[in-house]
Amino acid sequence: MLEIKNLHVSVNNNKILKGLNLSVNKGEIHAIMGPNGSGKSTLASIIAGRKEYEVNQGSIIYSNKKLLELSADERAKQGIFLAFQYPIEIPGISTTNFIKTAVNKIRESKGKKPLDAVSFLKVMKEKMKIVKINQTLLSRSINEGFSGGEKKRNEIFQMAMLNPKLAILDETDSGLDIDALKIVAKGVNKLKSKNNATIIITHYQRLLNYIIPDYVHVLIDGKIVKSGDKNLAQELEKKGYDWIRA
Amino acid sequence: MIKDFTSIKKNISKETNSILKTKKTKVFDSLDDVLKTYKEEYKYSPLLRKVSKKFDILRVDSFKEKKKNIDKKILNQYKNQYSIITINGLFQKNESKIPNGISVNTFDKLNNTDKKFFHKFFNNQDDSKSDIFTSINTINYKESLLIKIDKNYSKKDHVNILNFIISNSGESINHIRKLIVSNQNSKSVFIEEFISLDSIENFSTSVTEIIQEENSEIEYLNIQNDKNNFHFNSINISQKQNSISNCFTFSYSGALVRNNLNVKLKEKNCYSNMYGFYALREKSHVDNHTTVDHIDENSISNEHYKGIMDNNSNGVFNGKIFVRRKAQKTNAFQSNNNILLSDEAKINTKPQLEIWADDVKCSHGCTVGQLDKEAIFYLQSRGISKEKAISMLLGAFSEEIIEKIENQFIKEKIKKITYKKLEYFTS
Repeated sequence: MLEIKNLHVSVNNNKILKGLNLSVNKGEIHAIMGPNGSGKSTLASIIAGRKEYEVNQGSIIYSNKKLLELSADERAKQGIFLAFQYPIEIPGISTTNFIKTAVNKIRESKGKKPLDAVSFLKVMKEKMKIVKINQTLLSRSINEGFSGGEKKRNEIFQMAMLNPKLAILDETDSGLDIDALKIVAKGVNKLKSKNNATIIITHYQRLLNYIIPDYVHVLIDGKIVKSGDKNLAQELEKKGYDWIRA
Repeated sequence: MIKDFTSIKKNISKETNSILKTKKTKVFDSLDDVLKTYKEEYKYSPLLRKVSKKFDILRVDSFKEKKKNIDKKILNQYKNQYSIITINGLFQKNESKIPNGISVNTFDKLNNTDKKFFHKFFNNQDDSKSDIFTSINTINYKESLLIKIDKNYSKKDHVNILNFIISNSGESINHIRKLIVSNQNSKSVFIEEFISLDSIENFSTSVTEIIQEENSEIEYLNIQNDKNNFHFNSINISQKQNSISNCFTFSYSGALVRNNLNVKLKEKNCYSNMYGFYALREKSHVDNHTTVDHIDENSISNEHYKGIMDNNSNGVFNGKIFVRRKAQKTNAFQSNNNILLSDEAKINTKPQLEIWADDVKCSHGCTVGQLDKEAIFYLQSRGISKEKAISMLLGAFSEEIIEKIENQFIKEKIKKITYKKLEYFTS
């Protein structure tokens, strides 16, 4: 599904990714762990289509398409979803209205008719249960005045509504208390299927107690230096990243 | 620029009403003084220079008018709504539909009581401190309207004031003049539009004086959306105690538009809301100059203007708040926020406060910025195209002003016009 080869990326002439390789197949959950500044969020941003980065070398193939040639909205229409580390507040646009526009734009790109108000509400109610988010919150402006936990739950709710093929969760666990963490993890597990894949970016092993990854990769200084299964995460938790650096 | 005004003196001699003649003569005599303030007042909007190049702005048209027709299709948009209709500044009684409780008449048709009443309020200001275009309007208007709202009037339905301009008959200069009196305890809603029926450059001035008696409330909206219009608009409100005014100015296009909104809170416990939204593209130029004068104590004024400038468009905002010595316990707020979408777009903004009383609460401020790239990316990352994301964000920016409209029908109408306009903005 996703094939990243020898990816070199820089921002303002600072080299961040230095030859990254990653291959993700349908039905898999990959965890990417690493210390601060290792390039984890850059990787998430570059897959989602943020423009500030410069790709110096390498390629990303997604579902047989050259991903880097697509704009962010085209990528979303192809099934890529990024759960933001810091979801932005957008005053004046209600969350419901925003998600409805997004859902219908994606449907439109697939030649489907837009959902009418009634069917949309039905789908929404269903998905709201998954992340325990309420209607009042969704009728407010996007993320405006939301708590940290509410913002992250809103991200997973959007993921549920858009039903992506490849979801990237960028430090979705940061800033969450243990209850919120469980709700988010439960949501992600519920949305998992044979046909979609998830990349989880995280500092800590904690989230991986609730979402069991098939693969764990360690990203240090712009490169994946070690890959393994879920046990690698536990080992990292015990020994720290210096264990791999050394 | 004009230096010699003698040509419009002819027009004063045609005035048959002696009181109006005296008033107009006084206005004429102070023209030179008024012109002295022009340079500062029109620093960023050279309206006089521009229009005097294109039009013979002092020209006096004949008072007798040929009959003109408006396309039924256009009028149909306002079907089943109350409307006061003018064509080139002349009242069209037969085309208009006026609700019970409001009377509309031209000055000539007024009875003696109403004429006295008209004299009492018409052009009641210090002429030497007037505006040059208001003065030209006062001398050159062909017909003035008196709109009287009865005591206790409270119909929820709005009244359109539709000013049609037909230039292909050779008249590209029009002066529209009206006096609105909102009597005690009345509550009314007006929405005014200026509509050119042909795409010929034209110049129009409109001066509206609004007198608010005790406990009256008026919502007055203005829509400007004509790229061929060089337009001067002045709304002058004078409020008595416990009255409320809600003024809205929506500008979407204009060759060079200048809006003067002047509110005098003459007595205690008045409330004035002044809101504006401008969304400009191409070479449009819109200038909003507002003044609110707190004369007596315990009044509130609240002003918020927001604008978006794209391409080579030009915006100007100047807001003055005066708080007189007697106006203790005044609350006066003012703010102006702008988004610039292109390197060539421009905004000149200037909030001003003059306070002589000591127990008051006042604030003012302005911002100029760009759209948040993070917000655009967030929306894009959910499958929304960049263009759509921009128009959604601009719509959200406009919402704060549009939401302030009380009348539901008008709110929806303005929303529709605004969102349609914003589809064409890019960043």
